[in-house]
Formats: sequence, structure tokens, C-alpha cells
Amino acid sequence: MSEITLYNHDLDENCYRVRLMLSFLGIAHEIVAIDMVPGHEEKGPAMRALNPLGSLPILKDGDLVLYGTQAILAHLSRAHNAAGVWLPLEPATFSRVMQWTFFSATALACAIEARRVAVFGTAGDLEALTREARQALRIMDDHMVLRHIEGFEWFAADTPTIADLSLLPSFALSRDYGIDHDEFPALRRWLRRFRILPGFRTMPGIPDYH
Amino acid sequence: MSSEAAWVPVALSASIEPGTSAGAVVEGAELVVWRDAKGVAHVWEDRCPHRGMRMSFGFVRGDHIACLYHGWSYDTAGQCRHIPAHPDLDVPKTIKIATYAVEEAGGVIWTRLATAAQAADPLPTMGTNLPVRSLYADCSAAHALAILKQTQLPVGKDETYPARLQVVTPHAWTLEAGALSLSIAVQVIGPQKIGLHILADEGSVDLIAALARWAQALRLALEAPVTVAEVA
Repeated sequence: MSEITLYNHDLDENCYRVRLMLSFLGIAHEIVAIDMVPGHEEKGPAMRALNPLGSLPILKDGDLVLYGTQAILAHLSRAHNAAGVWLPLEPATFSRVMQWTFFSATALACAIEARRVAVFGTAGDLEALTREARQALRIMDDHMVLRHIEGFEWFAADTPTIADLSLLPSFALSRDYGIDHDEFPALRRWLRRFRILPGFRTMPGIPDYH
Repeated sequence: MSSEAAWVPVALSASIEPGTSAGAVVEGAELVVWRDAKGVAHVWEDRCPHRGMRMSFGFVRGDHIACLYHGWSYDTAGQCRHIPAHPDLDVPKTIKIATYAVEEAGGVIWTRLATAAQAADPLPTMGTNLPVRSLYADCSAAHALAILKQTQLPVGKDETYPARLQVVTPHAWTLEAGALSLSIAVQVIGPQKIGLHILADEGSVDLIAALARWAQALRLALEAPVTVAEVA
């Protein structure tokens, strides 16, 4: 029995964020498949006992039960990687990592919602969500234009961090909700570099080939 | 509108790395821009003849690009060479993607949406080759021209200078301010959508970050609601 259990749905992008982290860090774990679509199992009483918000992913690490994608990423990158390379603690770097990691939970919430509407048929105003998501992706592209000019390939440090990891799926999956990659050359460049990191894995909607 | 003989930009050269592809739209026409492993850039119609999938979603292997759906693979002439589901098939010559003329000059990939037989306009010369960035904005090219006529460019630390705008061709504009020369290769995507591929002269390498920030602010100006007075 593995210490770590991920309550997962394969088509959910937040679960993908955690699967990516587990893969990059090479952490042994068990997966419990949750019937999110169409069953809404994550909203049932058994799952709400683990996460009262009724959402995925949920991570169990020994006695610790965590929900909230970004919290899980932070936990894994500090508790299961001695060097903590995905969440550096040098103060200025740490703050930048936090800013962009929170961006994935706030400014990109519309992108995650847009994809749910487009892929799962969840109720929502796809046009408004997509418009908002495009603005968030532009902010990311603008940032990476400047980072590249300054000689860096990653959002917050000179190596990839949980900021890159938490932002990336919204761009990699943007065609799912109707936003093409044409207008974001700096994000295309970043995605290509992210894809070749050892341990990278895809999910449905992100091509295996590139 | 551009004539079919005109050279139109589709990307900054630096944005299309060897072995990669991207989509680009010129006046509604969907194109794939890709660079083979040898570094040669190609611009084609963005459609696999098999199922209509966009080739820009595909992947480059050596001097071929393959469709993401079923792996149909095309050589640099747009000719299909390999169909994975029928590996022994001698692929018919009719399975071919329309290709367009490509020239790379001054850090820009230019194409011409004309048949080979039509005479080409000369390539615009702009005298710059340091990429600043590609900027995409929801406005017309005419509106962008009007805004750029009044722009101030960064010419030093916290110093800006009014820029002189020159229209070399409908798709190549230059801006000059002090010692700084900037050029803009203008991609008309649709009536209210443009791509501005911005480059600076080699002497302005220290200004690139400031120019990228200028471009970011320019997009806000380009997309700001137009007042009634301006329309009239």
C-alpha cells in the first residue's frame, strides 16, 4: 500500500497538474478513479468527507488529506523533494513563484471553467469565459516575452517551478475551449521547453507528438 | 486589402524554431508556418487533405510535417509521402497541400498568397533585424496607423521621443525616434484583427525590453474604445 493516494479524474486538468508533479518528482502513488463526469461522485457524501468543497483533486499523504490544486503542488514539491527545486525558498524567487501560482488559481479560473463548459457541457457563458481567458493568456505571453529578453525560459526562476507547472495546462489545453496558440509565440516557446522536461506526460487534449 | 502579389508577414523568424510549426491567419486564410530541421521555413494552406485537420497542430520530423490526426506525412513540396495506415502504399501525387512562396528577410517570415506564375512585388526592406516581439491586437490596420502616427518611443532610460512614421508598403511600416529605428511587419488577420511583428535596429539592443513594454502599452491604446469625436 502506497503512502500517497490521488483521487483523480483523467480528463480533469487540475488532476493533471497533480499527476504532472507526481511524475516529475517520481513519487510512487496510488490512483483512485472518481466518476466526476457524468457521475459527480466528487460531490457525494463520501468525497465531501475528504473535501467539503466537493472538487478534485484530493491528495492523501499518510494521515494528511489535502485539497486545492496549488496547495497539493506546494506540499509535494517540499515534502517529497529534498532539494525543493520546484518551490525554491530564496525570498524573491519564492514570492514570484507564489504570484504566478496564485495566478493559475485566480486569473486562470475562467480558463479552467471555459474548458469544463466546452468539454463537459457544464452550464456557463463560454464566450465571456473565453474572452476573459484570452486576457489572462495575453498577460502570460507578455510576461514571457520579457523573460525571454532577460534571458530566462521560465516564469519565476531560472528553472521550472510549480508556477510553470500550474499555469501550463491552461495554455496547453486552450484549443479545448476555442483559443488557438497562434497569438502567443512566447507561450509556444515555453510549452515546447516544458514538454521536454524529464518526467513530462500528456493528458487527452495535449498531443503526444510535437 | 493586399494584392496577391504582395509579400505579407506571418511571423518573426525567431518565433518559428527549427522542427516546429504554428498557425497564422492572413485576411481570413488559415496558414501553417513551419520550419524544417535544416532551418528552411515553409508556409502552406493549414489543412490536411485527408480530414481537414489543421497542419499547424501537426509535428515536424526532419524535412517532413505530419498531421496530428493520422500521421499523414508531407515533404517540403507539400506532397504526401507516407500514410501510416497504409505503409506500403505508393501515395498518389494528387494528395498534396497548397504551398506558398516564402522569403525570410530582416528577421521576418514573408509569404505571398499567389500562384508561382504571378510576378512578385519586391520584398520590403526595413533595415532592422533585432526581434522585439509579435503583438496581436483587435483593431484594423488603418486604426493602428492612426495611433502610431502619435506614438512616443523609448530612446533611453525613462526617456521617450516622438516617432516619425513611414509606410514603406501596406505591410511594412517604420518608426524613427532619435537614433532608434523600429520596423513593423503588418499581418492583417481580419477586418478587426492584426499582428504587428516588431523589430529594432542592431544598435538598439539595450532598448529591446523597453520596446517590448512599449508594445504592450500600444496594444492597450489600439484596443481602447474609439470616441465618437475620433470617428467623426
